[in-house]
Amino acid sequence: MANKFCVSLTHSKDNTDKATVAFVVANAAVGSGKETLVFLSVEAVRLAQKGYADGIHEEGFAPLGELMANFAKAGGTMYVCSPCFKKRKLDENSLVAGASIVGGAKLVEFLSDGSPCVSY
Amino acid sequence: MTARIDPDAEWDAGDMGCGDLVLELRHRIARLEPGQVLKVIALDPGAPADMPAWCGLTGHALVSVAPPVYFIRRKAERS
Repeated sequence: MANKFCVSLTHSKDNTDKATVAFVVANAAVGSGKETLVFLSVEAVRLAQKGYADGIHEEGFAPLGELMANFAKAGGTMYVCSPCFKKRKLDENSLVAGASIVGGAKLVEFLSDGSPCVSY
Repeated sequence: MTARIDPDAEWDAGDMGCGDLVLELRHRIARLEPGQVLKVIALDPGAPADMPAWCGLTGHALVSVAPPVYFIRRKAERS
């Protein structure tokens, strides 16, 4: 069984339900002892900006900012798609805890030993 | 007749479920010494399926199940 787990997320405020559930599942993975990566691309890269997730709170779930902070505190990693980030002219000096800007090779490297990946 | 289990710690998780439940469970189990037992009360409808799965993934022993009450023994080595 692979000891890694990847969650790929492409949404933020355009689909707060998907963004929230992605981090709930990521927390289930990291809470189960998996080396867990959330890959943020397309609109999801906005979540890597400090404060952007504030106010996103789906009914029945913890606030998204809290889910993300818990994920990072538990050792989870967030890779932020570099071209998606640059396209949106976001601030690389204002990243949330656990996030780093990467190119596609880092995602391929993480997945290359057979890590499962779920997408939202 | 089921043997009585005296837990070393208890946690009422209420209706917490899915990732929230297992992430907090991970923290609480980590505070125990190897071999100690945590009693968990989890009301989430997914808990009867998730608790055995989580124990299987992490190596901790689910020593008693009577939903919504679960007794989990911490594994020997540090996780």
